[in-house]
Amino acid sequence: MKVRILRQESPTSEQYWESFEYDGPQDASVAGMLDHLNYSDDIVNDAGQKTRRIAWECSCLQGACGACAMVINGMPALACDTFLKDLEGNEVVLRPLTKFPVIRDLAVDRTSIHHNLKRCDVYIGAYQPLGNQSFSHQYDAAKCLKCGLCLEICPNYTNGNSFFGAVFANDCYLVYARNRQKSRDIKKVYAHHFGNTCSKSLTCMDVCPMDIPTIASMAKLNR
Amino acid sequence: MKEVLVIGSGIAGMACAVRCAEQGAHVTLVSPYPSERSQSVMAAGGINAVTEQCEDGDSVASHIEDTLKGGCWIGGKDAVTGLCSSAKDTLAYLESIGTVFSLDQEGRPLRRAFGGQSHKRTYFCGSSTGKQIVSALVMEVRRHEAAGSIERRLRMHFHSALIESGECYGALLYDEQARGLVPVYASAVVMAVGGQNALFSKTTGSVLCDGYAAGRLFLQGALLKNLEFIQFHPTTLETDQKRILITEAVRGEGGRLFYEDDGQRVYFMEDKYGPKGNLMTRDVVSREIYATGKNVFLDISFLSDRLISQRLQEVRDLCRKYRGIDVSKQPIPVAPSVHFFMGGLAVHLNHETNIERLYAVGECASMYHGANRLGGNSLLAALYGGRVAADDLCAREDAPRHPDFARTRAREQRLLDAASESKSVFPVAYMRDMLADTMRAHMGIARTEESLTQGLVDVEYYQSVAGQINYDTSVSAYENYSLAGILATAHASLSCALAQRESRGSHWRSDAPQTLDDYAYATLVSYNDGAYNVWLDKEREYES
Ligand SMILES: Cc1cc2nc3c(=O)[nH]c(=O)nc-3n(C[C@H](O)[C@H](O)[C@H](O)COP(=O)(O)OP(=O)(O)OC[C@H]3O[C@@H](n4cnc5c(N)ncnc54)[C@H](O)[C@@H]3O)c2cc1C
Repeated sequence: MKVRILRQESPTSEQYWESFEYDGPQDASVAGMLDHLNYSDDIVNDAGQKTRRIAWECSCLQGACGACAMVINGMPALACDTFLKDLEGNEVVLRPLTKFPVIRDLAVDRTSIHHNLKRCDVYIGAYQPLGNQSFSHQYDAAKCLKCGLCLEICPNYTNGNSFFGAVFANDCYLVYARNRQKSRDIKKVYAHHFGNTCSKSLTCMDVCPMDIPTIASMAKLNR
Repeated sequence: MKEVLVIGSGIAGMACAVRCAEQGAHVTLVSPYPSERSQSVMAAGGINAVTEQCEDGDSVASHIEDTLKGGCWIGGKDAVTGLCSSAKDTLAYLESIGTVFSLDQEGRPLRRAFGGQSHKRTYFCGSSTGKQIVSALVMEVRRHEAAGSIERRLRMHFHSALIESGECYGALLYDEQARGLVPVYASAVVMAVGGQNALFSKTTGSVLCDGYAAGRLFLQGALLKNLEFIQFHPTTLETDQKRILITEAVRGEGGRLFYEDDGQRVYFMEDKYGPKGNLMTRDVVSREIYATGKNVFLDISFLSDRLISQRLQEVRDLCRKYRGIDVSKQPIPVAPSVHFFMGGLAVHLNHETNIERLYAVGECASMYHGANRLGGNSLLAALYGGRVAADDLCAREDAPRHPDFARTRAREQRLLDAASESKSVFPVAYMRDMLADTMRAHMGIARTEESLTQGLVDVEYYQSVAGQINYDTSVSAYENYSLAGILATAHASLSCALAQRESRGSHWRSDAPQTLDDYAYATLVSYNDGAYNVWLDKEREYES
């Protein structure tokens, strides 16, 4: 199986494509495939030349931490959660998320997600819950991994300078549900950085590895 | 203002950082990645506490008793009493910062039981307790970041502590962005770096928990403790890259363990221990699975589809996704796997190590769990330990002015630079894989003197060559320089297991199966100029 990877040696260097021949297990995940390419032997590309090992992030390897988010055959997804057997075609094409600065190869710098939440004071403070908020939706919203897949697919999100995407909306919902003192203010912040601009393509929900129904957060906050 | 350096941003690190900030300290919270990547997010089952709404007959005294008994009586009574008596407050704290626990239809908190508990006292948040707690703590950290009392620094790795004459003044951190070592000075340093998974490669946990920091600090004079006690979770599903935990709840709902003999199913746990045999404690079930020498399966296909969907949906999803198994039709192939490390940095009751102003909290510290941890007690310990360390360090006098460590930094930087000039393509991962093979072969569920000695010979060999090999510099510098510390932790663990000629909790010596009163103490290990010295803490200096 042929694997094409968009590579970049450092944050300031040029991107380039490099291809590899993968002959490992066909039931592997993309994460398993990357490990196989990196470590089953010295790493060589499909022209037989020795090359650098492929950089990517990982932690839990079971779809619970969001580290290995990347673009796989055109779709934003977690590498440990995407299986070769489910991919179409005979080629796997990997590229880093495009909406964040590249650190190296498939590893990107997602600090902007945290920075935006911090600069808008999206925190609960004292717990004073609003009545009638579904526990199950609160659990869902709090499962957000800050992986960035929702931002990658979002037609409205570009660089996180003013529109902050679904990841922001769900944390806003948690503040809204869990501190009624802040619920009015947080709705304003939400509207400014999400609600007023979101064109409701809802593709964010299609790619969310935690299946967070962002639309439910929006329904509460738009009210 | 007190400057505190907290290294590691899982539940323990965040709990400590927030508590320090609340007492007016300024905290630098360091980790390579954000808290969402920490192993803490993987904890699903819950957290233990006895509250006013406890099960009939339950009490703090029984929580203490269960914890000490589970730990085979080598956990410290004072430490465990502190942990369990304040569990109610720990839970109340979590609620006060917006952690929402699951409730029944009358609005009362739900509880479940884990193995080894006399009562149902594990509180949970749906099926993602760890992640729900992490989310609440991340919000708290964010609140303090906004106020300027916590500064998060990402893409930073621990390198070494700045220690002189047994006192800690800060740490050298490897900054990935600057690609160099930076000193951070502090009145106190708190290690919250999690367990030692990398020693075994495939475990149920995160690859970010590698045992490096414990090993490096050990080489710098910190004592390690109880390293032979490693919890194997009996039911895990093997995948290419890891072992996925199949929660104890599956057996709680009636799941049955069996192997096949001549086409017949043998329900070995029920045969030996009666109808509740499948729910024996983790160490017992793991040993029994190991003793069968067969492929063991966990069957829930006879449970109703509704029950599986309602209570075990995550198990269904994981099995389908990672192994293509339909649990309503097929049994799940399971095997024990390394899951939790009871051992780690030795700490006193206040969570300070033998090095002044160097603290350790969470899974990297050895405390409370003795020879075997009860499910639901480690999240509790991570939160409680973080708080104890914070209160202690905030109450103490300011540290003396730090000595000049410029030469230390320059020396360590030179070593790193020299290593990064290599043109080799030999990956450090190969050394790590060899180590994992050794540890799995010799530090597994059943141990013998002969096998442990062979394990030590292997690790000593890796140590003797590790420093002479040039490694591939196309991977991160941390991956390369961490090898020495990881090997030291492995060496220390094998030394502890070899010295303990008895069996207790998770440490099973098949050549010394009895539990002996003479060994009813914590094991300590120190490093001195190449020598690994192991002794028993008979004075109960660590964990009284
Ligand atoms: C699958 C699974 C399920 C579990 N379920 C439960 C449960 O239901 N109940 C329970 O009580 N316990 C459970 N546990 C155990 C529990 O999750 C852990 O013991 C606990 O979360 C440890 O928290 P921590 O803060 O000490 O470490 P971690 O959450 O592991 O955090 C460690 C931090 O240190 C950082 N770090 C590591 N090395 C370095 C370095 N060199 N430099 C800088 N930073 C570093 C990491 O990036 C991370 O931020 C479970 C564990 C697993 C694996």
